[in-house]
Amino acid sequence: MQEKTREQEEALGIIWHFRERKIKDFDRIIGKLKEISPGICDCLVEKGFIEIKDKTIELTPSGEKIAYNITRRHRLAERLLHDVLEINKEEIDQSACEFEHILSDEVTDSICTLLGHPKFCPHNSPIPAGECCTKAKEELESIVVSLDKLKSGDTARIAYISILEHQRLHKLLSLGIIPGKILHLHQTEPAFVIKVDETQIALDKDFAKNIYLRRST
Amino acid sequence: MERFKTILLVGNPNVGKSVIFNKLTGKDVTVSNYPGTTVDISSGIGSFEKEKYRVLDSPGMNSLISYSEDEEITKNLLKERPDLVIQIGDAKNLRRALHLFFELTEIEMPMILCLNMSDEAKERGIRTDAGILEELLGIPVVATVAITGEGINNLKLRIKDARIPKKIVTKKDGALAFDIYEKEIDGIVSRVQKRVGEIKPFLADRLGNWAMKPFPGYVILIAVLCLMYIFLGKFAARICVGFLEELFEKYINPFLYQSITSIIPAPFIVDALSGEYGVFTMAIRYSFAIIFPIVFCFFVFFGILEDSGYLPRLCILLDKAFRLIGLNGKAVLPMVLGLGCGAMAVISTRILSTKKERLIAVLLLSLAIPCSAQLGIIFGILSGISFRALLIWLFVVIFLLILVGHFSEKVLSGAKTPFLLEVPPIRIPSVENILMKTRMRLVWYLREVIPFFVLATFILFLINRFNILSLIEWIFSPIVVNWLCLPARLAEVFIVGFLRRDYGAAGLYVLAKDGLLTPSQIVVSLVVLTLFVPCFAQFLVLNREVGIKKAFFIFFFTLSCSFFFGGILNFFLKIIRIV
Repeated sequence: MQEKTREQEEALGIIWHFRERKIKDFDRIIGKLKEISPGICDCLVEKGFIEIKDKTIELTPSGEKIAYNITRRHRLAERLLHDVLEINKEEIDQSACEFEHILSDEVTDSICTLLGHPKFCPHNSPIPAGECCTKAKEELESIVVSLDKLKSGDTARIAYISILEHQRLHKLLSLGIIPGKILHLHQTEPAFVIKVDETQIALDKDFAKNIYLRRST
Repeated sequence: MERFKTILLVGNPNVGKSVIFNKLTGKDVTVSNYPGTTVDISSGIGSFEKEKYRVLDSPGMNSLISYSEDEEITKNLLKERPDLVIQIGDAKNLRRALHLFFELTEIEMPMILCLNMSDEAKERGIRTDAGILEELLGIPVVATVAITGEGINNLKLRIKDARIPKKIVTKKDGALAFDIYEKEIDGIVSRVQKRVGEIKPFLADRLGNWAMKPFPGYVILIAVLCLMYIFLGKFAARICVGFLEELFEKYINPFLYQSITSIIPAPFIVDALSGEYGVFTMAIRYSFAIIFPIVFCFFVFFGILEDSGYLPRLCILLDKAFRLIGLNGKAVLPMVLGLGCGAMAVISTRILSTKKERLIAVLLLSLAIPCSAQLGIIFGILSGISFRALLIWLFVVIFLLILVGHFSEKVLSGAKTPFLLEVPPIRIPSVENILMKTRMRLVWYLREVIPFFVLATFILFLINRFNILSLIEWIFSPIVVNWLCLPARLAEVFIVGFLRRDYGAAGLYVLAKDGLLTPSQIVVSLVVLTLFVPCFAQFLVLNREVGIKKAFFIFFFTLSCSFFFGGILNFFLKIIRIV
């Protein structure tokens, strides 16, 4: 990968942020870029981070990657400052700008995990997801699973039931299938048979898909 | 009529409400429809502490927020404000009883809580302190084992102590109430219930688990079917019917003929009463010598299946198979009941949730499900030929069941409904309870049957007397003789079959016994008669349940199906000669 300076990172971050708001107009963006340094735009083109066509700025794949990471670091830093250190929204931007250049990928992921893989920064802009977020999602999904993913003989706690139709939901609740209850899966074929307290209930896959359970770890 | 105080029994399904009802009321019970519905409400008189009460049994329900007709009726019975409510709960499932109890407290009526099946709870290591529970709820709490009668006297003694329960939870509507109830229930259960010792599975539990797994579930199912075949086909239809038939032929009929001839000198009336198509010699003989033993045995068998908790397991086993014919496992219940009586079964299709399912179910009930008397007779006749003959009959009927069901599933529009069913534990049925049920069902059945038998016989007698029978036989002969290759006399079986299929089958039984039919003719005529039109009673019920148009459609559809496939079967049997 080509060398990048602090200024270039910052400039790419700005282009990213404009793009989020659907702005690619050269004339509108150039003003902000010039605040960083007057020749930055030419420099970015030279390094192959951006392309300028018909008065619009496009990120190249390598530029895109840098912009993605810098935005992620910046916004995670904002979250950290805001949530953990309880610094004012108005003041956090400055410090975040410092942080974003010194954080390594590992530290970024640790912060992300510490904060619980947040999806938005304090200013409500989306935080680009890192590897740690995808991993966590998978793990979380494997902890909370739908009934049809369990095996016969498994025991798990009911997390939630996602049935919209009131009549069906009520039927389950009145049979004692209530979130928080321990459920024992007795068999899966030819129909699911579960036991909650002393009540045994047979149900088919349509119901089973919509009952979510938290595996005991 | 004397005014008694009324007691209403309410509770979750499968908690033994009707057994308690029987213990409280004894013999003097009437079963009647709740006005405007077909749900049966049992009512009886019981006297406790020298005071007489009218006791009403309500359909089981899980919640007062009602979605089914059954629950709606229980709610209405509560609205009629009985003098006291006895809630019956499952001792091993106190939580669910308490859920319903909290809903019932809203109505503010004097109550007693009866925790039934406390023996099952004990076996599972669950101990409940009724004293503390009584204090917490503010009403008498009685533990019972209804089947053995344990605790029933105590229940009777405590009726005078019924109180309006304490209001522990204030009303919140909708699903939110569940959370509040749950918290209260947690508190109560932890104070009154203790679990002692390890819960080890019992033989009955294990058997119950086996019965719903593919293996050995299907093996058990085949064993149950074989048992039914032996019990109905061999024992009821051959041994019992044979004995009673002989009794009628050798002693009762000649005696009746003699006595009637000596009392009434008019030969027309003598013939009408005790001739070949006499009301006594044919209608009464068929009812009591052929139908009665078979139906009796079927209802005993059905009662055992019902009370043992096997039927819900059958629903689980057959759920997937029933999807093929556009139904789900729940439809097993009306289908099995249809093996008892088609008319009863058509009414019971109300438990199915969509119109499409109900239509398919009533069509299949009318087409391919023989009622108990018919089934017994079919088993009886076929077991006299060969096992292979039975298999051919079974194959054709099941083949058509799947064919027609699958076809209707494709033709009729409508979403499939998901399957949800509570599975009670396997229990050993009480003999007393089964006999009580059998007696009630038998009385209902015979009351339904005998008038039709007498009417059908009288029609047969008249058309025979005025030589119309041979005319009808001649009219039917292109179908009966040419297409089905059966003797022309079979036309009379089909004519009475219009009124009742089992009567037609009984006629066939006599013809087969007299050696008038070859084995392959017997198989063909049994298939035709199985697929034949719904009997008159079933037709009336169909009319009420699905409307006159659909009832007539079902009538003509089954009629053409039966003759068409009967003819094809005849054709096949002629070519391959396997019977």
